[in-house]
Amino acid sequence: MKFMKLVAAAALSTGLTTVAHADGHSGTTVGVSWSNFQEERWKTDEAAIKAALEAAGAKYISADAQSSSAKQLSDIESLIAQGADALIILAQDAKAIGPAVDAASDEGIPIVGYDRLIEDSRAFYLTFDNVEVGRMQARAVLAAQPSGKYVMIKGSNTDPNADFLRGGQQEILQAAIDAGDIEIVGEAYTDGWLPANAQRNMEQILTAQDNKVDAVVASNDGTAGGVVAALTAQGMDGIPVSGQDGDHAALNRVAKGTQTVSVWKDARELGKAAGQIAVTLAKGVPGGSIYGSSEWTSPGDTTMNAIFLAPNPITAANLSAVVDAGWIEKDKLCQGVSDGPAPCN
Amino acid sequence: MAKALAGYCAVRFYGAALTALLALPVTAEPRFSKQIIDHEYTGGWEHFVGGGVAAFDCNGDTLPELFIAGGDSPSMLLRNNSTPPGLKFVPQTPPEISLKSVTGAYPLDVNSDGYPDLVVLRVGENMIFEGGPDCTFKRLALASADKWTTAFSATWEAGNALPTLAFGNYVDRSNPEGPFGTCDTNTLYRPEGSGWVRSDLAPGHCALSILFSDWGRQGRADLRASNDRHYYVRGGSEQMWAMEAEPRLYTDADGWRDQSIWGMGIASRDITGDGLPEIYLTSMGDQKLQYPTGEGPGYEDARFETGHTAHRPYTGGDGRPSTGWHAAFADFNNDGRDDVFVAKGNVEQMPSNAADDPNNLLMQTEDGSFSEAGEAAGLASMVRGRGAVVADLNNDGLLDIAVNNRRAPFEIYQNVGTNTGGWISVSISQAGPNVDAVGAFIEVETRAGIQTREVTVGGGHASGALGPHHFGLGTARTPRLRVIWPDGTVAAWRAVRPDTRVSIRRAEKSIARPAGRLARRPARQAVRDFRLHR
Repeated sequence: MKFMKLVAAAALSTGLTTVAHADGHSGTTVGVSWSNFQEERWKTDEAAIKAALEAAGAKYISADAQSSSAKQLSDIESLIAQGADALIILAQDAKAIGPAVDAASDEGIPIVGYDRLIEDSRAFYLTFDNVEVGRMQARAVLAAQPSGKYVMIKGSNTDPNADFLRGGQQEILQAAIDAGDIEIVGEAYTDGWLPANAQRNMEQILTAQDNKVDAVVASNDGTAGGVVAALTAQGMDGIPVSGQDGDHAALNRVAKGTQTVSVWKDARELGKAAGQIAVTLAKGVPGGSIYGSSEWTSPGDTTMNAIFLAPNPITAANLSAVVDAGWIEKDKLCQGVSDGPAPCN
Repeated sequence: MAKALAGYCAVRFYGAALTALLALPVTAEPRFSKQIIDHEYTGGWEHFVGGGVAAFDCNGDTLPELFIAGGDSPSMLLRNNSTPPGLKFVPQTPPEISLKSVTGAYPLDVNSDGYPDLVVLRVGENMIFEGGPDCTFKRLALASADKWTTAFSATWEAGNALPTLAFGNYVDRSNPEGPFGTCDTNTLYRPEGSGWVRSDLAPGHCALSILFSDWGRQGRADLRASNDRHYYVRGGSEQMWAMEAEPRLYTDADGWRDQSIWGMGIASRDITGDGLPEIYLTSMGDQKLQYPTGEGPGYEDARFETGHTAHRPYTGGDGRPSTGWHAAFADFNNDGRDDVFVAKGNVEQMPSNAADDPNNLLMQTEDGSFSEAGEAAGLASMVRGRGAVVADLNNDGLLDIAVNNRRAPFEIYQNVGTNTGGWISVSISQAGPNVDAVGAFIEVETRAGIQTREVTVGGGHASGALGPHHFGLGTARTPRLRVIWPDGTVAAWRAVRPDTRVSIRRAEKSIARPAGRLARRPARQAVRDFRLHR
């Protein structure tokens, strides 16, 4: 099928394939559809994808949907028309991407759903393991505070990841809860993941519990920031608090000792894996045969091939890793910290 | 103006190459001059949405007054004291309608006495005020529950003296599991005897706009609801109720297609010329333009190339997605093609969406696509726009805009465009009930084709206008017009003079329309096929 398509294309447009090969790549073209490239973080992902494609001798083409799900459909048609053999899609709106999946599927072009779930069995799903992020958060807090009263500050109720995280946290805490070592005394979703909402929720829980709280499992660094602000106002900063994302402010809190862990998802690893998977799928390897992939069932009950990368929990014990990786400058990490953990000592 | 129009003709008939030679404007660029009124839509979470405006003439001078929701602030009536071509509004609110907790309002003549009445949407009890001479108001009895009402529409179902009223309700505030996944049901009032019987339309999916429309020209208006997925979270979608004896939701078996958006406002208008309305829906990120599929009540998205999406700010540098609220189709430069106005603004401080979010003016081009003209027109206000009305506020033949803003002053935009085309302003009426002929279709025919206007009450974002129906005519000198009355009888075509105000009272000689559905006409010749699955 794929072969037929290439033959037909070559027959119709003499010389086109020659031109396409002239810049030295193997003939595989990978199209990347970004949701909104104005968001700073995707530039890191793009560099990693490009590097992986270059290493595989494949060509990179891309389009920026500028936050428009309609433009993304148009972009993907255009990437297909430009000869993409595989697509990496960061969906602007997973509920509106269906026609693009259909279009690619009609042409036999494989799709990698990048970072955001495209709930369709024809797409390969690549993201960090959010359940594992939750486990890592709870593990680090439990190690620092094996008993006492816990508060769970969750993400936005509208984001499915919030519940994946909460599920992973529960897995780790369950045994300690069953043993009566720890007790969850407060739990709240954070509307829009906003730090201000997390702070307000934490303040209310502290009031209700008469400040008798020993540890907080917060689902990301933004909410952790709100939690630490609420704790600081009560002179309670320094009790274990978790987070996620490797936000610069959060890493500084880890150096200061007011946050226990920030689970860091290295975008360079995600981009690299996406590039490699796309090239492999383009060669006709089925998603289920890709090294490291597993069959996974989505919340909407769709069975898909997926790879979930392991994130990296950053604590006082391994803070140097984020400086070594160039993620943050040492001065910024250690701002206001003296005699802290390495490298802030 | 005559010179400009001559240029327009030349291009139409002798080709685009002449444009440069003639160096005359082919299409007028709309311009607006802004006035500020000291009124804001205020309040907490319950007033993050809503913020409507109602435009209607309550003192019989043909100039529309404006009633403005205030949320935590009292609602306000602005008297229209304009001396055309000027524009002047003066706050003068009768105590009966100076109300708190108002989210929006729609004018309609509920009791068919010739004085517009006012339906007021609130957080809490909704209210109907019977209008009288010189902007007097008297509250009518209406059994209303304590709900968070954010949408309204009305229609006269066959044979009824009173209108059928539908209220769209947002989140159920009394549900302790809320606010996510706890959308309230919507409320339907159907006439019975001298009053209404109230029932629930369930499930509700957090409606922010609802509209009765005879979408398929089948002689019955059905109820479309545009719903906010932010609060239904999962399992919800846009909805359309078939208004049978027992209302039922259309499903895919009928041709309906589920869609999940952050629905905020509905506009409905035939823009292709085929006689069936297209739909414009406001949302976060992409706004949606949808064409009827022709299979039941199915609608299909327009492609990105249509230029309708207005998905992020076009000026100001904020690259995050936009938040759309009120939408209206209207011909702002009188070129004979309906344009789109969208009021924009962040919900409150939503970090995923643009903070500086200008309103849109999407001008329809000859092939049916749209291009943004908001900045040059002077509409790029960065405050939190909500409800709005589009109406000719000073009877000069150009459509003006009034926008109610959350936590920012009310804005009135006077259309001061030049080199605009011809227009007519059409008032229609019939003997009661339903004096304003809600459910009628007005058709205006020029050489460019037939413009079709359904007379509706509802849609937009918590805002509505009752009054004459404005049509742009372009260069047409000999337009003709007819009305298809709500009961299906068809009036004869009559010639109308451009640049005039026309009053049509229903005559006895209207003829009955052939039974069955109106045949779909071919689209305007120049209109391209912008459907997603063409």
